[in-house]
This record gives sequence, C-alpha cells and structure tokens, in this order.
Amino acid sequence: MRARLFKPNDTVDFVVVGSGAAGGVMARELAQAGFDVLVLEQGPRFTAADFRHDELDYWFNNSLTNSPDTSPQTFRRSPQDRAERVREFPALWYARMVGGSSNHFTANFWRFHEVDFRERSLLGAIPGTSFADWPIDYAELEPYYTKVEWEVGVSGLAGASPFDPPRSKPYPMPPLPVKSSGVLLERGARKLGLHPFPAPMAIASVPYRGRAACAHCGFCIGFGCEMQAKSSTLYTMIPEAEATGRCEVRGESYVFRVEAGERGRVSGVKYFDRDRREHFQKARAVVLCANGAETARLLLMSASATHPDGLANSSGLVGRNLMFNTYTEVNAIFEHDLNEYKSVQVTRVVHDFYEADPKRGFYGGGGFDGRIGPNPIAWSMFAPPPERSWGADFKSLLEAMPRAMVVATHGTSLPLESNRIDLDPELKDAWGLPAMRVTYRDHPDDLAFARFLQDRGAEVMQAAGAQQVWKAPVTEATGSPHLLGTCRMGDDPKSSVVDRYHRTHDIPNLFICDGSSFVTSGRGQPTMTIQALAFRAGEHIARFAKRGEV
Amino acid sequence: MHDESTTRRRFLQASGGSLAMAWLGLHWPEITAAAGHGHEVAAGRIDHEFKVLTPAQVRDVEAIAAQIVPSGVTPGAREAGAVYFIDRVHTGIYAANAPEFLAGLAAFQAGFARQHPCAGPFADLDGPGQIEYLKRIEATPFFGRMKFLTVAGLLALPAYGGNEQKLGWKLVGFIDQHAWQPPFGHYDRDYPGFVPYAKEPRS
Repeated sequence: MRARLFKPNDTVDFVVVGSGAAGGVMARELAQAGFDVLVLEQGPRFTAADFRHDELDYWFNNSLTNSPDTSPQTFRRSPQDRAERVREFPALWYARMVGGSSNHFTANFWRFHEVDFRERSLLGAIPGTSFADWPIDYAELEPYYTKVEWEVGVSGLAGASPFDPPRSKPYPMPPLPVKSSGVLLERGARKLGLHPFPAPMAIASVPYRGRAACAHCGFCIGFGCEMQAKSSTLYTMIPEAEATGRCEVRGESYVFRVEAGERGRVSGVKYFDRDRREHFQKARAVVLCANGAETARLLLMSASATHPDGLANSSGLVGRNLMFNTYTEVNAIFEHDLNEYKSVQVTRVVHDFYEADPKRGFYGGGGFDGRIGPNPIAWSMFAPPPERSWGADFKSLLEAMPRAMVVATHGTSLPLESNRIDLDPELKDAWGLPAMRVTYRDHPDDLAFARFLQDRGAEVMQAAGAQQVWKAPVTEATGSPHLLGTCRMGDDPKSSVVDRYHRTHDIPNLFICDGSSFVTSGRGQPTMTIQALAFRAGEHIARFAKRGEV
Repeated sequence: MHDESTTRRRFLQASGGSLAMAWLGLHWPEITAAAGHGHEVAAGRIDHEFKVLTPAQVRDVEAIAAQIVPSGVTPGAREAGAVYFIDRVHTGIYAANAPEFLAGLAAFQAGFARQHPCAGPFADLDGPGQIEYLKRIEATPFFGRMKFLTVAGLLALPAYGGNEQKLGWKLVGFIDQHAWQPPFGHYDRDYPGFVPYAKEPRS
C-alpha cells in the first residue's frame, strides 16, 4: 500500500513530531493500530543511495546533523554564567533527517537492567540531585525490549553476559563477527576475571526482514548505512508505518509550536516547510518524539498567555534534569595490525561494573567496550595525547593506527535540576526562533566513576598485552548525543512532566516519548530503551484513543 | 612504503661516509620534500591554480602543514598535497570560513615577521627553527585550525583536493574498500569462538 498524503485541511488523529528512534516506532504503532498519523520531521529524507563515506562532510561539516550555523546553541556551566555560542560541533548533537539519530548512531543496544529502574530505593537519596525511581520497572518493559530486538532487529547472544537481566526470547540474529579489538578486550578482561560478552548491536548480522546483512564497511558512527543493515527507523519502522496507508512522513517540516486549543487541550502544531512557509496542522492529539533536546525546546517555545512557562510545564521541569552518560576513552597500541577501521564499531562489552557500589565512595555504574574511535580523521584529531599532537611523534602515531584500538567507557549521569535546556534570550536560529541554551555541569560522582571505569579499561588493555596505553583526560562534559531526562516520567505531577504512559500531566491529548522521558540515565546506549518505551507508549496511547480517552 | 625505505637506504649508502649519512638522516625530510616538488613538476601539478592562497601564503601554509605531519621515510602532508586541499576547501565546503582563515594566516605571518625581522618568510626558516616557532604558537586558534586542515588534507576523500594518490590513507593503513570479511586483523584470525561462562551468577 502506498504512503498516505494528507491534505492541508485534514485533521489527523495524531501528529508525531520527529521521525527518529522513538518517532518511527510511534508512527508505526499508531498507524498499525488504525489511526491516521502525520509525522513531521525537520530534516530531509535520504535514501540508502544518498549515504557516502565522506568523513569530512558528515563528521566535521555537520551535514547529517544539526548545524551550529543554522541551529545554533549556547552553553554554560551554571546559571550564573553567560552562555557562549558553540561554534564547531553542536553541544547537543543529533541527526537531522528522517530516521533521526537512528541513522548515524553506533547501534550499541544494551537493555537497561532491573537496577536502573529502582536505584533510588536501593541506594537512597543523593543530596543535591533529583535521583528517583522510575514509575515502571524492568519486568514491565521487558516485552517491549524483546519487541525492539525482533521487530527493529538486534544481533547478539542471549545469556552471554552473566549480568544480563531476564529475557523472554533470544536475539533474532547471531552476534556480528568479532574484531581484533573485541578479541583483545576479551583476552585482557578474562585475564582479570571479568566477563566480556558479544556486543548486542542494532545491525543485521544476517539478512533480516528484507534488509541486507552488514558488509563490514566500517562507517557506522556518524554515517548512514547504505547497506540498510543498520536497523534505523528509516529502513524498519517508517516503511512499515507507511505501508499501512494511514501514515505520511513529511520531511523538511520544522515544528516550532504546539498550539494550545480549547478545554486545556492542544489543537495541532505550527511548522515551517522547506521554503520556510508557515503551516498549521490540525490534530486530535500530538506526540512529541523530537529527542531529549528539541522536545523540551519546543514545549518552551509554545508558551502562551495561558501557559506562560511553556506547555506541559506546571512542574517547572521541562528542560531540566538533562543527562548525558559519561564517556571516556583509553587508547592502546598493540604489536600487530587490528585494522579497526573495518566492520562495526563494537564487538565485545564488559558489564562487570554495571551496578553502583557504595564501597567505592561515590555513586556510579557503567560498562566499556573495545572499538576504534572512529574513522581516520576523527581518530587522528582526538586520540593522540597533547604531547604527540603534531610533528614527528604525531606522525609515528598515525602510522600506528592499524595497531590501535580504543576502550570506550559509558557511565551514569545523575539528574540535576540545574542541568537544563532553555531558550537563549538573545540568539536566534536561521528561522528566527530562539536558540537552545544548555546549562550543564557533571556531578562530582559522575566524574569520579568515569575515572574509575577508565582505570579499569586501562588495566584490561595492559592485561591484553598492549605496547602503549594512554588515557584521554577526563574532563567535564561539553555536550553529548545522549539527550536524556528533560521531560521526566513519574506519577507525581509536581515532580515529573509525563505520566507512566507518556501522557503529559497537564494536557490530556499531548504525549511525549523520547530520551526526555528518562528518569535516570542508565549506563549508556539509551536508544534501545527509548525504542522499548516507544513501543510501550504507542500501545497504550492507541488503547486510550480507541476508548475515546485522548 | 618499501620502495621509499629502500630508496632512502640506497641513498644513504651511496652517499659515503658516516658524517654524510648522519647529515642526510637529519635532513631527510627536506630532501624528500624537494624530491616531491620535482615529482609534482613532472606530474604537471605545478600548474595547479590556487584560488584562495597567494604564492607566499601557499609556501607558508605548506611549510606549517609539513611540520604538523612531516615528510620522511613515509610521505607527509606535503606529499599528500594538503596545501591544495586547504586552498580548495576554502572555495567549497569551508568557503564561509575563508575570511577567518586568511585573517589567521595574515596574523601568523605578521607575528612571525615581527619576531624574526631578518628571517624572510616562515617557509624559508630551517626545519628546527620552524618547529621552535610553531611550538610557541601551538595554542592559538590558527594553529589548531591548521592542524585540523592538515589532517583533513591528508585523510579526507581525495575529491576534496588533498590525500594525493591516497598517500594519507596509505600512511595510516586505511584501505577504502566498501566491504570486508573476517578476519579483519591479526588478533581475530584464530579466535576460537566465544566460550560461555560456566556459572551465570546474576548479581
């Protein structure tokens, strides 16, 4: 069946804002449930044939992502500071196209563990933070994790990690072939008594649901997949949504306002088309899946006389509790060639330090993996230590690239109300809309745990026989592609923005589901959980709509 | 790479005494640079028309790039044509940055002239002198930009004007092949397969 094309005056059942990891799932679930769905995506629609291995353009010219030139952001450490414009890379980084960041992500697909949902109860309060339990638990989300693995497509080996939470089904595809980085990570970790395991990846290791298997080209993170092996919603959920004949995905449609209507409801959204003409799209309900940065900004931009602090913001928490996941790197050089530029980024993961341990003296949990980081220009720019950043020593390091690998660590970020997104009072984007202002400072425990985990990664590389090992400096974050927590989920309207079904506490026909819904950050790799939440939310929203409760 | 290494060894052997060999060893980057220039003439690259940089700017930019990734036994930024990349991207992908880059370059040249009034342009300084000067300005935004442009000129797609004959990719061992099959490297060649853990003690 052909994709639906709505007429300008149609009132659709649902407008879904954003077509990425969450929006694609939401569109499919609602359309398959029988509703008319219009997805509005600010970026263009590419096909597999459009994607190139152009590291300069994609990584350093932001051609697939939000650009600091047209979608500028400002950044500061604290509310007392003046926010400065971010110039080269966006602070909050996402792919701006149909399929969103599910196109350019690494495709690490860790499930959350049980502990992620109830850590506040287990560990107690952490002063100065908004540390809280989720209103749902792992058991409630487990069927939807399984749905992601089977319907979006994840490769992995069930039961390989002794730390894995319970699962109802194995992975639908075997793990991707191990790389030398995975072998060395595994070798070093096993020597130290740790439990490395094959990485779960949202990349097809064998032909799956009409898509080709990975060709191991090596251009995953930061790139779109021309093989269609990466399980982007561009290739999975969106075509299935369109195949219902009830869904239209309209690219280059930049939503800038959710319009408040009568009786405390929303009536639709305003957006700019590719020619910057303004439109109003009527909808019976609106679902925001615009990512953890843009969803909050859109709500704040939708302020009106009746909602002076922005829509759905009676709690004052829209944009607050921004979380990133800490990230550090250990670099290592080995005797022989690894050729890490080939194949997927990650093939082995260690989760032995997943759970927080109060004996460490600080909160935090996480995991690490073996990889290169990531392609020739980026590795050359980011991996060398400062004292070898140019000249003969730099060149000798470049020549060692085939023998290099990176251990990347991923950890918790505590929720702090002071870490937030709001609207810059002065700077505008290319459409004349308020730029995003980011205020972010890592909690000291986050940095302490990041250093702890990095040290463990360095030990693994030493145990694996590396000739050289050096750690990238652990410094406060200046941004992230993990955009979490800015419209947190909860049962209490005073301390959360959406309820356990992703309905905003304030507006009955306005829903939010993306990274903004997170209550805690998890240990990294949030997309799996974002999609599980979207499957669950889609099911519940459809149920509400069928009962006339939207 | 083997060819160049062999050439270097033969050159040193043919040069006679140990003192001469030591001198040649120290100055090999400049020698290979000159040889590279000759090769460019032979290849017709000397006719390349610079759109943004003046001849004097070309010489200084190329000299800086050649200190960031020096020539030697293996090719460096000079042989990979980083200067051509730097010129070309400022009419293309980085056209909007051209005024800022040129202002940075002008400030670099003026600063150098102030501190070395009798030395002529930066490009005419000997290698150790260039390194010493660049160390003093390595924290400046202009040097940071030159570092990035040099690396990109070495490793970006050749279509951008650098990475001549894919010399940059050869330097870092990167092969632009679309599809690969395992084994990918030395260590996964004989991997016996994942061995499950005997116990599965979930914490």
